[in-house]
Amino acid sequence: MSDASVSVQKGQYARMMVFIMRWLMPICLVLMALGFAAVEPRVLSEANLVNVATQASYLVVFAAAQMVVILTRGFDLSLGMCVSSVSVLVALVMTGIVESNPQSMTLAIFLSVSAGIVFGILVGAFNGFCVSVLRVNPFIATLGTLNICYGIASTISGGRPVFGVPREFSNLVYSGEVLGIPAPIIIASALLVIIHLILTRTVIGRGFYILGSNPRAAKVAGLPSRLYLTYAYIICSVLAAVGAMLLTARTGSGEPNLGGNITLESIAAAVIGGVSLRGGIGGIPAVLLGAVFVTVLSNGMNLTRIDGNIQMIVLGCVVIAAVFVDRIRTK
Amino acid sequence: MVNNNLASGHLHQKEVNQLVRAISAMGLLPIMLVVLIAALSIFEPRFLGIFNILNVLRETSFLAILAAGQMLVLIVGGFDLSVGAVVALSSTVTATVMANLLGIMPDDVGLVIFAGVAAGIGCGVAVGLVNGLCVAFLRVSPFMVTLGTLSITAGIALLLTNGIPVYGMPKVFVKSFGRALWLGLPTTVYVALALVIMVWVIQRYTVLGRYIYAIGGNLQASLVSGVSTKTYLVMAYTMCGALAAITGVLLTARVGSGQATLGGNIVMLQSIAAAVIAGVSLRGGIGRVELVTLGALFLSIVTNGMNLVRIDSKIQTIVLGIIVIIAVALEEYGNRRKIRE
Repeated sequence: MSDASVSVQKGQYARMMVFIMRWLMPICLVLMALGFAAVEPRVLSEANLVNVATQASYLVVFAAAQMVVILTRGFDLSLGMCVSSVSVLVALVMTGIVESNPQSMTLAIFLSVSAGIVFGILVGAFNGFCVSVLRVNPFIATLGTLNICYGIASTISGGRPVFGVPREFSNLVYSGEVLGIPAPIIIASALLVIIHLILTRTVIGRGFYILGSNPRAAKVAGLPSRLYLTYAYIICSVLAAVGAMLLTARTGSGEPNLGGNITLESIAAAVIGGVSLRGGIGGIPAVLLGAVFVTVLSNGMNLTRIDGNIQMIVLGCVVIAAVFVDRIRTK
Repeated sequence: MVNNNLASGHLHQKEVNQLVRAISAMGLLPIMLVVLIAALSIFEPRFLGIFNILNVLRETSFLAILAAGQMLVLIVGGFDLSVGAVVALSSTVTATVMANLLGIMPDDVGLVIFAGVAAGIGCGVAVGLVNGLCVAFLRVSPFMVTLGTLSITAGIALLLTNGIPVYGMPKVFVKSFGRALWLGLPTTVYVALALVIMVWVIQRYTVLGRYIYAIGGNLQASLVSGVSTKTYLVMAYTMCGALAAITGVLLTARVGSGQATLGGNIVMLQSIAAAVIAGVSLRGGIGRVELVTLGALFLSIVTNGMNLVRIDSKIQTIVLGIIVIIAVALEEYGNRRKIRE
């Protein structure tokens, strides 16, 4: 056999591996859904599919938030606690205004949503400042912010849920429908489109990719790295804040424990979808895939009545497997 | 300060430089610790009460063991997010094994305790091995691996107990070990001291310790110099898992029951915080166990002081967060200055 044919074969082999790796997760997703459906036919019922789509729309927002900072070789561990703080804050502002003058519902919703977004901007700016100007490792910086946000969430709420979020708010962003599509799905889709456009069509978005794949090159090329890094963290926290408000509308109360597992789930979803922890690789399609994967997995396990503790073990295994696949894919 | 001394002459400046170098070798930690203790003793007399001091020492011991393990992993350039979950798992396994064996052989209390402790520590070793093997051979990011094992380990601990505390351990284990005082000090303190000295000896005088530094300092260089980096990576993670499991066993003896809620994420964050405050670099290659023990002492005293002056525990977490960020920012600032000089 000549050298040329060996190298052709090798090339084919490599191309085949790339092809398999690219389609591995989508194929796994389909197989998994079919597997659950074989055990429990209700998995593929229309009601359940709408349910899965709605649940995934929350996770995808958080995963997209996490993805933006992971692109720049960062992390946001404070995401979950930021969600808790925003949930409590929005609920407190809304109930406060509605109690004092019940007529001004629109004003209450407007003001509380603005307060939530401003809080998100502040958290993101703080994270960004620590990472870009103080040059603290993102892991530690957001670990610190996690503690700070946890303190804020439990202090302003007194550790108890804030009840009495007006039904109008829930009607608007939870049970509302446009053309039969639930509001959370519409809002999440709109956010995804915006982030997708920012990442693919704007200088800032491309900057995130460069910062992640080669920070030195970014600096040499004259990219305002510090500013862009700060933008990435702000976008992340604002998305988290919006997601927090969607969740608050769903539960109908401000919950200081709302964000418990969200940080880990968001990282898991992003990585499972193919966002690389080494930075610079990822996008909205990846995040969408990851979020749907995690949601189908947990929904399927719920419907087939698998114990919640075993679900934790399964999710852990899936995360490790996904990172391993990522490792092979980017080699 | 340095500018003032510049004006007062070269001789003076030399001494100041030496002082600055000595301080920067130790870090700011010992000074902050002395200031903190002095301030607390003056403003809060209860701080020096014997029960309070014993309490602080006990808390410090738990944290110091965990942080020593975390430090080993940080030195090889990794992370271990699973330590809190390992504490929970080793607690539930130790208690379950002891309670079950005690039913079978009520007379062999010594054997029951030995088996329980061995099983608990064995779990930690197993989790550490999995972490180490994944990091070394699959070359998966330590952050993600330990995130995965965190979820798996916590799941197993909950599955074993259904979240219900496990009672029924031998009374000797709780009364004359977990809650006992030897020569006026909690037993935990002696165990912690022994472990810290062991890690110190490993770091200072053994090939293992040197290689762990070498791998963290420059993986490529140590590989080229013929260090079997994978073996030592696995060993660092395994030791971390074992130390976390020992903390779990000690906590179980203290609490008197096996609980899946012991440990958890707060403990994991504290172990990283204690190490980072003590100057352990997140880039690997730097860290000394004696300073990490001081870091654990510092964190315990800060928490204790805030409890004494009745600062709400929720606000305490805010303070903890700020301390960690400041510590790392200072370290980073110091590093950049060193490079410039």
